[in-house]
Amino acid sequence: MNKKNAWSKNEKVFLGLLIPILVLFFCFNTLPLIKGFYYGLTNFRGYGNYDFVGLRNFIEVFQDSRVGHSYLFTFKYAFVMTIAVNLISLVLALGLNSKIRGKNALRGAYFVPNILGGLVVGYIFSFIFTYILPAIGEAAGIEFLSNSILGSTKWAWVAIVIVGAWQGIAMNTIIYISGLQTVPEDVYEAGMLDGSTGWRKFKDITLPLIMPFITINLVLCMKNAMMVFDQIMALTKGGPSQSTESISYLIYNNGMSGGQFGFQSANAFIFFVVIVAISLFQTTVLGKKEEQL
Amino acid sequence: MAEVILKHIKKIYPNIESKKKKKGEPEKKKNNLLVTEEGVLAVQDFNLEIKDKEFIVLVGPSGCGKSTTLRMVAGLESISGGDLLIDGKQVNDVEPKDRDIAMVFQNYALYPHMTVRGNMEYPLKLKKMDPNEIKRRVEEAAEILGITQYLDRKPKALSGGQRQRVAIGRAIVRDPKVLLMDEPLSNLDAKLRNQMRAEIIKLRQRIDATFIYVTHDQTEAMTLGDRIVIMKDGVVLQIGTPQEVFDHPINTFVAGFIGMPQMNMFDAELQEAGGKYSVKIGDVAIPVSEDKQARLQKNGVKSQPITLGIRPEHITLAQEGEPCLTGTISVCEMMGSAVHLHADAYGKDTIMIIQTMNLTDEEKNGISIGNKIDFTFNGNMVHIFGKDGANLES
Repeated sequence: MNKKNAWSKNEKVFLGLLIPILVLFFCFNTLPLIKGFYYGLTNFRGYGNYDFVGLRNFIEVFQDSRVGHSYLFTFKYAFVMTIAVNLISLVLALGLNSKIRGKNALRGAYFVPNILGGLVVGYIFSFIFTYILPAIGEAAGIEFLSNSILGSTKWAWVAIVIVGAWQGIAMNTIIYISGLQTVPEDVYEAGMLDGSTGWRKFKDITLPLIMPFITINLVLCMKNAMMVFDQIMALTKGGPSQSTESISYLIYNNGMSGGQFGFQSANAFIFFVVIVAISLFQTTVLGKKEEQL
Repeated sequence: MAEVILKHIKKIYPNIESKKKKKGEPEKKKNNLLVTEEGVLAVQDFNLEIKDKEFIVLVGPSGCGKSTTLRMVAGLESISGGDLLIDGKQVNDVEPKDRDIAMVFQNYALYPHMTVRGNMEYPLKLKKMDPNEIKRRVEEAAEILGITQYLDRKPKALSGGQRQRVAIGRAIVRDPKVLLMDEPLSNLDAKLRNQMRAEIIKLRQRIDATFIYVTHDQTEAMTLGDRIVIMKDGVVLQIGTPQEVFDHPINTFVAGFIGMPQMNMFDAELQEAGGKYSVKIGDVAIPVSEDKQARLQKNGVKSQPITLGIRPEHITLAQEGEPCLTGTISVCEMMGSAVHLHADAYGKDTIMIIQTMNLTDEEKNGISIGNKIDFTFNGNMVHIFGKDGANLES
């Protein structure tokens, strides 16, 4: 009897903790998703009356060249970002996990970009790309730097990658450091005695054992990069000539001020499905390579 | 096959305190380790010549420097001073992989992402050995260790004992000159530990390697080692065969550390009259044996307060009229063939092992908690230590 009472008390605590979170999640996540899907079935412009148009918006998303272009840009950006951020943060983590002086201070310093807001960082870099780098380029006679990279349809995306990576590396590095610390020291020592040093040590021991952390970082980084918005808002506003228009930016811009609320809601819903599919694919494929210690 | 020679080996860990220490300040101790101007002395002046194929056991309590010494031999720890020679070649600065040694770790240190076969093949693959030779060696080692059926499993699918066999297998496939073992059995339960201990003894007969084995378990040390090195606070206290260190412990620490249950230590008096020595506890004086007399005389030992060591198995129940000590039984542990008694005697908890086969029914009935017990010991089996802890006979 007492045991049963104790169990129901536990259940109460459990439900008391779960229900508020569930309500919040439903209100701010599930409900907007459902409403988004609902608006995707209409020709709602963001104001005034609207009619149901069935799946027309969902079909037209696949036919719209501007949406297609924004997907291409977003995938290109996400792919390059994910590779760059993970490579750089893994190298940094290896350095910050080694026996170097002041590594704790350095870990703190490398984490700073993560605390700053995306827009703030974006505007600071916008100033650097627009004024400081061209000034340096002109003074040093470097033609490549003399013009703002943000004005180039060919290279503006690189500026967004630089800013995104600068900010994204912080969290990834911390996750990789945590991962490296889970590898038991005696496994490395066994490797040293077996003759596994340098690249072999990294390839044969470190990399397989931090696979779960690589999965987390790849999934998070890809997801964040796919949803790039702040940096574009601060740096290029999708320009020049819509060359840096990401899906999120297009949804926001045309949905809010372009009179395409219904159409962009359909776009947003499809985008949600794409991100979920990519994340599931990554976790499934990479999960097979993970090893439990 | 290799001789290993450690000459004046020392390990110093620099610490902040030692940097702050001014010259001329007296040396002090940190966790009982000596702290000098250079730093904390984890191992001091370690000297040992290990013969080819010898099985050496380093034993001592936690923090005594035994694992540090082993790691210095392995090359996992730098050597602060002295020379380490393997097969006559100085290897102080040689990379671990080039020392031709293998090591078995306490926590197995297996590669979790590789199968058992992968773990055992890995060191050979790194040596770019012929694949057929790798296969032959791995299968031979697996056969010796009885792990053939697990070759395609990952370590996480194995029990502790099986994992340790794999770790030993990974070490022996390399056919190393020296096999180092760092407390390899301490993660196993008591039954498995006994079983693995016997297997290590058998393994030793089958492979041509010099063994250096670290443990804090004196039973392992006694049963496995050709010679035992007993360490404390970074210092080697005694080196000898298991029988030597058991029979002639150099000081009270070694006497207490080696032997199970632990040796009893009594505050006593050594009395010398006309060149004849006897030991006196309370009012009871018992003469020591002739050979002990000779050794004490040779060392010019005078009458003095001493610590008298008597092993539990060397205590017997006193016969009628025999000079004896008296205690009150506080704990009685019946082990079948023997009974382990704890008795409060002369302010000490005295442990004695009494063989039950020699007891009469009357004596057996008298052994119960709270009863008085008269016991004695043979003057040949006592250990006489000065108040500084040193053995006065050696």
